[in-house]
Amino acid sequence: MHFTPPPYLDPGSGSFIIQILIAALLGLGVALRASWSKIKGYFGVKPKAEEEDNDSADASD
Amino acid sequence: MQATEKLSASFRDPSGFLFTRNGILYRQINRAYEKDYARLMDSGLYDKLVKAGLLIPHVETDQAPADAQRDAALKVIQPERVPFISYPYEWSFSQLKDAALATLSIHKRAIKMGMSLKDASAYNIQFVRGKATLIDTLSFEVYKEGEPWVAYRQFCQHFLAPLALMAYCDVRLSQLMRVYIDGVPLDLASKLLPAKTKFNFGLLTHIHVHASAQKRYSDKAIEPRKGAMRVNQQAMIGLIESLEAAIKKLTWKPAGTEWGDYYENTNYTDGAFEHKKQLVREWSLEKKPALVWDLGGNTGVFSREAASSDAFTVSFDIDPAAVEQNYRTVKSKKEQNILPLVLDLTNPSPSLGWDHTERDSFGARGPVDMALALAVIHHLAISNNVPLSQLASFFAARSKWLVIEFVPKSDSQVQKLLTSREDIFPNYTREGFEKAFSTCFTIHKSEVVRDSERILYLMETR
Repeated sequence: MHFTPPPYLDPGSGSFIIQILIAALLGLGVALRASWSKIKGYFGVKPKAEEEDNDSADASD
Repeated sequence: MQATEKLSASFRDPSGFLFTRNGILYRQINRAYEKDYARLMDSGLYDKLVKAGLLIPHVETDQAPADAQRDAALKVIQPERVPFISYPYEWSFSQLKDAALATLSIHKRAIKMGMSLKDASAYNIQFVRGKATLIDTLSFEVYKEGEPWVAYRQFCQHFLAPLALMAYCDVRLSQLMRVYIDGVPLDLASKLLPAKTKFNFGLLTHIHVHASAQKRYSDKAIEPRKGAMRVNQQAMIGLIESLEAAIKKLTWKPAGTEWGDYYENTNYTDGAFEHKKQLVREWSLEKKPALVWDLGGNTGVFSREAASSDAFTVSFDIDPAAVEQNYRTVKSKKEQNILPLVLDLTNPSPSLGWDHTERDSFGARGPVDMALALAVIHHLAISNNVPLSQLASFFAARSKWLVIEFVPKSDSQVQKLLTSREDIFPNYTREGFEKAFSTCFTIHKSEVVRDSERILYLMETR
């Protein structure tokens, strides 16, 4: 017998699927940005300071 | 025999749990969490997060594990104790926003160092030294490249949805967090948000489309490890940055609420105001409380006088605009010992969750050393009809010392409250007030506030 769980048991499936789709799209953006800064670097434009250091400021400002 | 008590808020986590022994807070780490704990400590992630003020520091101890779970135990650590635990439904807009950004910042740093935040609960964030800080040391797991973020849904429900509702609909919708303990359901948020939010990429994807996907796939099982079901590291960073951008875009400006401009509208002079500040400061310095509750603290002017004695002061107010303003002051002045919170004294936070034990009520988080009740008694006694004797026992149950201001009927603020209703308060006089409060308190000092008819008392619970 096939058993389908009631909807309230697993609200996670949709979240997983949508996350995978959105992340794939956004990952492309990150990849493009990385190559763009490499191209800029080739022409002597300095990359921005490592973003990591700004994170704590973000969280507290 | 040592008194060991397991705390109920951490019962869900197989990695470990909190317990107190002889008044000291410990966290037991179970063997199941051994690999993840080792990675957290050895990778340098722990040091990095603690240095940034994003994670609560702890020390490893040689304490025996809590009895019931002795076999499962790996280690017992002692985390720094948070002076006052608060909950998202008590935070102002910017507090919830900062907690959201701190969560994302922690997850991003973790991903870059081979770990992932497996839990994005708003309840794992507390305000420590004025900053949003993760207090659950066991929230990390070793990151397996390709795995989706298991806490994505939780992050959207605990942070993005309530913040979007507060920004686009009404700031009071933060109270939905009190109803839904695992965050605002996304289908509800999607229904309540105005249509224009569908033109905001972050809200369109992470709330509206996310909610529809949840509905569509609600009865389907998935296998996340299949080839196509992967989120590589670059995609994960993209996801985190997209959530960050969505959160940062949400703003709310305190205006138009009840008492946002209260201090500009008072009926007493600068002299009275300064005198009141001076008395609060003097009495706090004299009694040296460690923890103070300012009940009806507005934007925190008097909380700061109490805090100048080094007391950690929680400044409660019913008005989200005043609390927001207070929190912005905390941030701009980098104040470490003031915590502004939204609270309705006539209906304070109840105990919530499984068996009523997951979130403590307002009362259960006391009593404290000193409470301030300034310009608040007339609201409780007259607007809310609470008899003076009940007010006295309410305050006596909350704190050892009480600094309370009596505002007589002749005061214009009280007159205002009485214009729309019949005066059924024959006992609301100085004598009636002192008599009612003397049953629970010893009155040590009483001072008439300069240039006013108001009286400030220092009382001690009997």
